[in-house]
Amino acid sequence: MNHAILQMVCFIAFAVVAVGAALAVVSVKNTVHAVLALVLTFFSAACLWMLAEAEFLALALVVVYVGAVMVLFLFVVMMLDIDLEPMREGFIKYLPIGIGAAVIMLLEMLGIIGIKTLQVPAGPNPAGMSNIEWLGTALFTHFLLPFEIAALILTVGLVAAVVLALRVRTFSRRQNPAAQSAVRAAGRVRMVKMAASTTAPGPTTVGEDSQA
Amino acid sequence: MLAGYWPILLFLIVAGGIGVALIVIGWIAGPRRPSAEKYSPYECGFEAFEGARMKFDVRYYLIAILFILFDLEIAFLFPWATVFSKIGIVALVEMFMFLLLLVVGYIYIWKKGALEWD
Amino acid sequence: MSMSSDPMILLWTLAKILVIAVPLIIAVAMYVWWERKVIGWMHVRMGPNKIGPFGLLQAFADVTKLLIKEIIIPTNANRFLYFTAPLLAVIPALAVWAIIPFDNGAVLSNANAGVLFLLAMTSLGVYGIILAGWASNSRYALLGAMRSAAQMISYEICMGMALVCVLILAGSLNFTAIVEAQAGGKGLFDWFWLPLLPMFFVYYISGVAETNRLPFDVAEGESEIVAGFHVEYSGSAFALFFLAEYANMILLSFLAPILFLGGWLSPFQGWHLGWFSQPGWWWLFLKFFIFATSLIWLRATFPRYRYDQIMRLGWKVFIPISIAWIFVAGLFKYFNVVTIGH
Repeated sequence: MNHAILQMVCFIAFAVVAVGAALAVVSVKNTVHAVLALVLTFFSAACLWMLAEAEFLALALVVVYVGAVMVLFLFVVMMLDIDLEPMREGFIKYLPIGIGAAVIMLLEMLGIIGIKTLQVPAGPNPAGMSNIEWLGTALFTHFLLPFEIAALILTVGLVAAVVLALRVRTFSRRQNPAAQSAVRAAGRVRMVKMAASTTAPGPTTVGEDSQA
Repeated sequence: MLAGYWPILLFLIVAGGIGVALIVIGWIAGPRRPSAEKYSPYECGFEAFEGARMKFDVRYYLIAILFILFDLEIAFLFPWATVFSKIGIVALVEMFMFLLLLVVGYIYIWKKGALEWD
Repeated sequence: MSMSSDPMILLWTLAKILVIAVPLIIAVAMYVWWERKVIGWMHVRMGPNKIGPFGLLQAFADVTKLLIKEIIIPTNANRFLYFTAPLLAVIPALAVWAIIPFDNGAVLSNANAGVLFLLAMTSLGVYGIILAGWASNSRYALLGAMRSAAQMISYEICMGMALVCVLILAGSLNFTAIVEAQAGGKGLFDWFWLPLLPMFFVYYISGVAETNRLPFDVAEGESEIVAGFHVEYSGSAFALFFLAEYANMILLSFLAPILFLGGWLSPFQGWHLGWFSQPGWWWLFLKFFIFATSLIWLRATFPRYRYDQIMRLGWKVFIPISIAWIFVAGLFKYFNVVTIGH
């Protein structure tokens, strides 16, 4: 068994898992299972990218999509208490539309790949450079503007997240750590000067006297 | 390049194998004496009076969304950190602009109170 | 490393994996023993001392006990996810060791993007916890899982930024290269802890929060939600969560020295002290031991943080420090303030 065959076997295995998991996403009844199937799809896709020697993209896919986006999905799906049955009713009805959209997307992608193969010779990795270095160099020399636009989009995303999801409670008990640390003893405790000892009132003295 | 990742794939499989083996050993070696009380969800001795599935505060989702955005930012920082010394001042200034934009967003979410927990 | 296409190489790689995984599992057992012993001493108790010399076999007795206990599946639990969750916790916790170097060249996979792989595996760890909480269909478990998940993802940001600072100085995503970048003639002052001092603390504390250890263990919070996400787990399924947690603690205690304290480099490097100035795996293991013990010390010393305090520390203290230090580290690197490598 040589190296090329091993790669082919891995490719087929990951591809089958990716497609199978993608089918499971739209067909399983339990929404949490569906989200996990989507996680598996992403993970297999990352493995495929790794086989294509796109090291950074593969790991970034795991970090960003599996590690962050799908966690949000899981939060939403788990906690929203969705009633599962009505969600299933539209499945057959929308199936033709879904298949139509999928076919169009497939044609588009094939078109792009077809045009690309006509124009650019394959092999993005120049010799002696790791994938990440190559990507970084490209990103920070040729794609300056898109990079800054990405920053802008992220900032807009932050604002949008707050606008959409932030609900400030009207009644809440909240601590102010700055105020807590600023507290000094003088503000809380009043020191009172008193004599260390005072003469006790009558009866006790009498008792002690009688004992002695 | 792939040479470094075959052992990782193998390690993932072995790790999965270890996990499955431990569960299977426990399943075989452990007793099974069913009783309704034992299998009821734990609630400090009370009867569980509602289903466990409950709605959570929306701020958990907010945290998750903010996490995605910051995670993406880190994903951008990784390639930058490895190459910027070779590119020089352009990359440095560019990343400072990138970070400044995010600092603006960060100050916004702070001022809006999105980072408060009560 | 070579391709696993040849059966001999495949077997050889498998053997190396076992050489890492088996001692790791034994290390977890020993670490549990050491933790109980140290905490015992700190409480002026004996700690485990019955089974084996100094109670050394206590942890193995505990493992055996866990394995022969009944695995209880609560009614209404989702059986499939109930068993998937501990697997999802343990697989990343073990697989991440593929890229940890123990000495120069003593690493299973010298992949270019080691740090990125580390981040990917850490971000997978959260699934085990969320799914465990959800699948066991119990209120306490769900509460613990939500808290834990939100806490873990919050501190992952600071951890990622601390890693970025290290990368800026080292200029490489490879762990061996990161350690070698800390070599030099000034002994321990060539290590990254000095230029990245705030990030060193941010990384360490985030690591403690990420592994859900005290003082950040609201996920377990014995006094309020009894054990958090794994309250319904028993027997060997629980043992897997336990294994994952302690493997992650050991990982943290290895990574902090590798990233900030020169890994296997000697603290006296370049000072011509003969054997003491030589790099070697023993330095890394010594540093690991100190960090691992410090985690126990934290547990014995600090009371538990409140949840709002944890979130405040992560989002309002660590993130500003991290962003600021990325600027600083960038300037350091640009103006060659820090010497990298020999």
